Amino acid sequence: MEGFLAQSINGLALGSIYGLLVTGFNLLLLVGGIIPFVYPFVVVICMYVTWAVMGATGESLLLAIPATILSATVLTVLMEPLFRPLAKRKAEAQTFVMAVGLSMILTHIMALHLNHGFPVSFSASLVGREAAIKLGLVVVSRGQLLTFLGTIAAVVAFMYLLYRTMPGRAFRSMAQNPLVARLLGIPINRSAVASYGVAGVLGGVTAVFLAMALGTAYPILGENLALKTLAVALFAGMGNLRGGLICGLILGMAEGLATGYIAGLWSNAVAFGMIMVVVILRPKGLFGVKF
Amino acid sequence: MEQTKDEVLSVKDLSFAYGMVSALRQVSMEIRRGEFVALIGANGAGKSTFMATVLGINRASGGSVCFMGEKITHRPTDRIVASGICLCPEGRGILPEMNIMDNLLLGAYHNRSNIDQSLSRVFRIFPILAERKGQSAGTLSGGQQQMLSIGRALMGIPKLLMLDEPSLGLAPLLVREILEILHGLARDGQTILLAEQNVRKALQYASRAYVFETGKIVLAGPSEDLMKNEAVIEAYLGGSAEV
Repeated sequence: MEGFLAQSINGLALGSIYGLLVTGFNLLLLVGGIIPFVYPFVVVICMYVTWAVMGATGESLLLAIPATILSATVLTVLMEPLFRPLAKRKAEAQTFVMAVGLSMILTHIMALHLNHGFPVSFSASLVGREAAIKLGLVVVSRGQLLTFLGTIAAVVAFMYLLYRTMPGRAFRSMAQNPLVARLLGIPINRSAVASYGVAGVLGGVTAVFLAMALGTAYPILGENLALKTLAVALFAGMGNLRGGLICGLILGMAEGLATGYIAGLWSNAVAFGMIMVVVILRPKGLFGVKF
Repeated sequence: MEQTKDEVLSVKDLSFAYGMVSALRQVSMEIRRGEFVALIGANGAGKSTFMATVLGINRASGGSVCFMGEKITHRPTDRIVASGICLCPEGRGILPEMNIMDNLLLGAYHNRSNIDQSLSRVFRIFPILAERKGQSAGTLSGGQQQMLSIGRALMGIPKLLMLDEPSLGLAPLLVREILEILHGLARDGQTILLAEQNVRKALQYASRAYVFETGKIVLAGPSEDLMKNEAVIEAYLGGSAEV
């Protein structure tokens, strides 16, 4: 039982990060009109920013966290002009190719120029392995607790923006019907840039939590996460925000439990096997394509 | 064409082409403050294209559009809407998956300072929208969706309200209700430009009308004159058929 709980807690922390990743991914998909395969790569490269700033400032989280969020925002927004002409033509498949190309560039930068391609590891002050909650043999570490609470806070803030503010309504109108959004006088270009900015902020937050959860970053991590994010988005139904969050949690739990009960390397196979079954049985995903 | 202070919209020789096919040919038109003007003509005559071009959705290939004395030709649509032209598009253009309140609030994107006031005005005109404000707009009936579309346009407190075929697909009784509401708005001083295929009804409510045919204006004048015009009777009011 304790083992089950411990793996569930692991899974929940990991799953909430997947949920956050898919949320940013879906936002770019819906409002930006692109298939943002490159987004998780940006998140990973910003984990290197966390690492570099912590190294340079003597482990200052107060500097490293804002620097990570800022760099993720800037990097994401910088991609908007590259995607704009494709998005305007609704050339979704081409945006995917563009995103893959950008992903390769980012992977090469990480593999060749960041820490000579070696994995970086994050210090204990960020990862927070010490126990925050102890219930018998079940221990929730500070990092896990912060990750879980932090993702909830980020998602709540994002949902508030999307559903309760004018820029959020503009995002949703663009996702539903770009022509109507234009007729209503929504500044389409500015709103698209803003949506990249919001996705970037979410990406920066995700990078910090990933660093806490994994304790390490390495060049191939971007690809791993991008495949999972794409799979979760398909699993939930492309562009389904709530579905993406739930399915992110499901994937994290499945991975966590698989790690606990089956030999380690099988966790990915279990997760992707689940996704394959869903995609075959329900081509529109578990929750359907909906915004 | 003299410029008067009362002129809300002044269009001169406006042209637009879809590739090689010209869809608007040198259309000129003036609308003064508080007027209720109709654009009539068959499907595909250029009424919708005209409205889309005024709003900057289509890029004019020639001519000019002046609004409230300012040239707005080739301005981006969001600036034009911000300056006070709101359109109820053909097919209503509601956002079915968003709720009624969010649809209405989007209409006030450029008019956020007095949202409460415009909201209570819209709810006064269309009480049904207040009753259903939390429901998704897709659950509304056709007539209610049209009311939502008009209400949303009114949320922007437009200096010029353009409506593209608001009667489309509605039962005659609802068409009458919608037109009565527009009539009431006009009486309160709202400037309205209405595109309608339902020519008889349009002429009944609007004070003036322009007749579109294949992308150009072929006739213009006060509604009473047009109703007596033989060409109009022949083409649009077809004998005694009740519309």
